[in-house]
Amino acid sequence: MNFWLAVIRQTGRNLRQTWTTQLITCLTVSLSVLIFSFFYLIYLNMLSVGDKLSDNLHLVVYLEDEPGPEMQEQLRLKITQFDQVEKIRFISKEEAYNRFAKQLGDNREILTDMPTDFLPASIEVVPLRTLRSLRQVKLFSEYLATLPGSQKVQYGQQWVERFYSFIQLLSIIVLLSGSLLILTATFMVASTIRLTIFGRQEELELLKLVGATNSYIRTPFLLEGLLQGLAGALLGLSALYTLFQWTTHHISGAGFFNLLSFTFFPFTIISTIVLLSIILCAVGSYASMQKFLRV
Amino acid sequence: MHKQTGQPGETASSSRTAMIEIIKVTKCYPPNVTALADISITIASGEMFFLIGKSGAGKTTLLKLLCNMEKPSNGLIEIAGMNIHQVTGNKLAKLRQRVGMAYQDFRLLTNRTVAENIAISMEVSYRKPQIIHDRVRNLLAQLQLEDKHDILTGDLSRGEQQRVALARAVANSPTLILVDEPTGNLDAISTEQVMDLLTRCNHSGATVVIVTHDEAIYRHTNHRIMKLHDGRIASLTRGSGSEQPFSVDIPDDAERMDKSGDMR
Repeated sequence: MNFWLAVIRQTGRNLRQTWTTQLITCLTVSLSVLIFSFFYLIYLNMLSVGDKLSDNLHLVVYLEDEPGPEMQEQLRLKITQFDQVEKIRFISKEEAYNRFAKQLGDNREILTDMPTDFLPASIEVVPLRTLRSLRQVKLFSEYLATLPGSQKVQYGQQWVERFYSFIQLLSIIVLLSGSLLILTATFMVASTIRLTIFGRQEELELLKLVGATNSYIRTPFLLEGLLQGLAGALLGLSALYTLFQWTTHHISGAGFFNLLSFTFFPFTIISTIVLLSIILCAVGSYASMQKFLRV
Repeated sequence: MHKQTGQPGETASSSRTAMIEIIKVTKCYPPNVTALADISITIASGEMFFLIGKSGAGKTTLLKLLCNMEKPSNGLIEIAGMNIHQVTGNKLAKLRQRVGMAYQDFRLLTNRTVAENIAISMEVSYRKPQIIHDRVRNLLAQLQLEDKHDILTGDLSRGEQQRVALARAVANSPTLILVDEPTGNLDAISTEQVMDLLTRCNHSGATVVIVTHDEAIYRHTNHRIMKLHDGRIASLTRGSGSEQPFSVDIPDDAERMDKSGDMR
């Protein structure tokens, strides 16, 4: 029998003997994985919602006078000096009139007495489609207001600010639940391993006396920690997946949510969470061994 | 495995390597109890050696020093040429795998079965499960405990526990076997089985050190007998027995005893 076979047998035996404690630890770990990944999933989805909303985001700079081609070139330069943008479009007074008329549709006759240049010329600026641009949009608008000839800058000010603070709140919750995960995974596993060490003092003593090597005694505890991390993470993530499926199934049809398509974690994030949980639990069990296992 | 050196039962001589060398060993416990004082003895490889004396004479202390459960206050102990109180880590583990010890208090895991308890000493040297299984069966048969294979050791009588502890000590075929009061709870028949097993181990090359105050087991021996008194060597004699295999005088009432040796 080689080392690993012996160690795995030993681990299996330990788990069988202390399965209630192990189960409670595993559930605690999975609960903290669930809490963390729940908020993280919302956060990620909100980010993609933000991305989608920022697709429609554009700033409109109303100008005093219609700029000539030279002026247009200068304005374009000034705007790109501040930040890279997706698109800049100049709208002449006439174009604005035509658009307005089109929007009015059947009621366009009310415009018949109006001159075609009563609407101001404007520049439509579409910022880059990133969340960063969403955060900067306020600064950007302030900058645009200082452009020569600019009268007023408009964008969906209120919703952008609200959405941004919502995302900020979410990221704080994600950080907090992440710390919760770290604390529970590490400390719960550490205390479970400590309990098992205390409960098996007699056996560990005997193992030493009959000539068990340090690694023969220690590796099973480390493996227990690894298994706790793995099982906890898988359980937590499967619970979240079930919850996710249930939610997306039940809210489909409701107006607002239909616009947004929620997605579950991609494989890389799933494996990162599992790996993180495994590492944390292993650290917990290692710390306990260092402290309480004298071999 | 066993190293065959010379004839079994031979005494220490210059032609044989020493398994145990105890040089001027003293062991004191605080505040001022001297358990052992100035003990020096060489036990040859393949020898069977009896250590006798009254309770509190220091026999068990000497065994504890030999298996590195405690350190001497003074002096040197070498086993197979290694100073056991200086070896650490994996070297110590490897050394301990070659030393089988049957403790006076048995040190059995009472929540494990007889078979599991015996297997422990072989598992730590990564023996194959099949080999472990066969060896356990074989030992249990020799000690007439076949039917106890799957019983928790906590449910056994003292006499049975004692034999399980002995089986664990010899299971991994150690080169040195240390036994502390192996027959303390046993009737005459079980005592004979235990001594037969130890003699067989000795014949296949293992050095056997037996701590006892049961005169029956060393009365007829031709091996060396060291008597301790108040932590000092009181005498070192050779038994005057024949080379015959071990046997004890079975008292009449012993025949009426249960053969399994239960002394619940």
